[in-house]
Amino acid sequence: MKEEIKIPALLQFKEVARAPYEYLRELKKTTGVQMIGSSCTYTPEEIILAAGLHPFRIFAESQSLSRADAHIQAYGCSMVRGMLEDGLSGNLDFLDGVVFPHACDSIQRLSDIWRLNVRSLHFDLLLPVKLDTPLAKSYFEKVTERFRRDLERAFDVAITEEALIAAIELMNEFRNLLRKLYLMQSQYPGIMKGSDLGQVVEASMVMDKKKAVALLKEWVSELEAGVKPEKINKKRILISGSVCSHPDIHQIIEANNAVVVYDDLCSGSRYFEGIISNTGNPVQAIAGRYTERYVCPAKHLGVGFQMENMKKLIQEHKVDAVLFLLLKFCEPFSFDYPDIKKELEAMKLPFLMVEMDRHNEVDEQMRTRIDTLLEIL
Amino acid sequence: MLTLGVDIGSLTAKGILFDGNQIVEKYLMPVGYNSKKASEKLIKALMEKAGIVDTDIKNIVATGYGRNNVEKADKAVSEIICHGKGVHFLLPHIRTIIDIGGQDSKVIVLDVSGKVSNFVMNDKCAAGTGRFLDVMARAMETEIEDFGPLALQGENPSKISSVCTVFAESEIISLVAKGEKREDITSGIHWSIARRIASMVKRLGMVTPVAMSGGVALNVGVIDTLEQILETKIETSALSQYGGALGAALMAAEL
Repeated sequence: MKEEIKIPALLQFKEVARAPYEYLRELKKTTGVQMIGSSCTYTPEEIILAAGLHPFRIFAESQSLSRADAHIQAYGCSMVRGMLEDGLSGNLDFLDGVVFPHACDSIQRLSDIWRLNVRSLHFDLLLPVKLDTPLAKSYFEKVTERFRRDLERAFDVAITEEALIAAIELMNEFRNLLRKLYLMQSQYPGIMKGSDLGQVVEASMVMDKKKAVALLKEWVSELEAGVKPEKINKKRILISGSVCSHPDIHQIIEANNAVVVYDDLCSGSRYFEGIISNTGNPVQAIAGRYTERYVCPAKHLGVGFQMENMKKLIQEHKVDAVLFLLLKFCEPFSFDYPDIKKELEAMKLPFLMVEMDRHNEVDEQMRTRIDTLLEIL
Repeated sequence: MLTLGVDIGSLTAKGILFDGNQIVEKYLMPVGYNSKKASEKLIKALMEKAGIVDTDIKNIVATGYGRNNVEKADKAVSEIICHGKGVHFLLPHIRTIIDIGGQDSKVIVLDVSGKVSNFVMNDKCAAGTGRFLDVMARAMETEIEDFGPLALQGENPSKISSVCTVFAESEIISLVAKGEKREDITSGIHWSIARRIASMVKRLGMVTPVAMSGGVALNVGVIDTLEQILETKIETSALSQYGGALGAALMAAEL
């Protein structure tokens, strides 16, 4: 009998991260599962899983934009413009439905443009204006319940309590594994390449969750069994912002004897922080996670909340410097930045803010700025 | 023993030979498209000028955009750190440096010991850089050396609203068509770049005394308007273009 060649977990993740939509197209072809894209991490993936559908993050894969420019101005968020380009260009031809949590203004407008221009089922999740208030939780519970009913109607399925509980358990295990990887990097800086970890998280956002759990377990045990890097004095960096999937950034940081020990990105820790309680009403428990975990700057009551979270991360992970990676024209983050800057100055913690587009090259100017931050330390 | 600092900027390459106490020799030349070749040429020319050979140089530190292409360098250091060090050597009391080069502009705040404590750098855009002044000088048919003095003659600076190099140029064409005076338009151009730089300084938080370095420090029009907006004196040094190379030579002495 021919022996099957086993591909290492990390390589499998990297392959999905390289071409996420190819992976999804193939997954649909082989399993027949219906595909639900989401535009933001406020999509309760547990509900989608419990409906027997496949949730994935729409990642704005399109690198050159032309169709989207007819709808959104050039000085709009490149993530939102890229997502629209993915939809208009046929890149997402396997899509069955798409979820738009009303997080920032740009995503809300994207939902409107999408509804009129891209053929797929459309689900709006009307988030409360602010998420970190007592009333928000009960409101979001109703929104989540309604999303459940909408999915049931649209796909003619019943989303049972049992299926919800199973989805919660799967997602909790999945999130715990991602979190474990982050904590390993914080405990043994350099145990993995920052760019590898970034690609693993990105791939996990689109992969079949059971498959992702199996591969994550495999990679975690490989790392646990492997040689730990020597505890030499590596500078510990926290990345703050929205989305970062630029491997070059990690390369620059690591070439300067530094490591990203944690982040608060929505393409990073915000995706896996917060465990859902597996007792009581499952819909209420799911809604609870989104109102209790780190709140996106588009949805918080005030910058104080974000600052507290950052201080906690700085302390827990013994951070030497903060690198803000903001998407250009991302208003919620830009409005918060001046206040956070003042606080960090008072704390005498070095930091740097760079703005970037979803896909732009890391150029010399950015390299110079990051190099300088690390040389100052 | 001598050390060498090489600053490969976007437009010009600068070199400084340092003997541990003072500058022995300096050299400046255009970079062209090949920064590696430019650095080799610069080092050779500088050694010839000083009448020394390879073995007379203890260490070489490279800085600037092309810092990683200088093969002979013992170390590459970002130009922000080097500018801080260089200016601190020339003007030890300075706390804020405004450095405007060919393709970027930076504001650097130093602590009392001359160490960089904070900085900000423009994004990839020619607004607020030496390139902006180059393009505008050409549009006004003026040599870049005469551009600053011409701005000082303007009595009623023209209003130029855009800081974008491309749009500002077309704005200037309409001002010319309206018959506004050359000095006034030139003065308006200088106000426009100075406002842009001043906003960077304010965002970072200015600590006086302030100095300017980089090629644009040679432009009296920019200095004059910046002094008015920031309401503080801006010092310069005759070696303002060599701040980065000098800082690199100083770092090389510490290796």
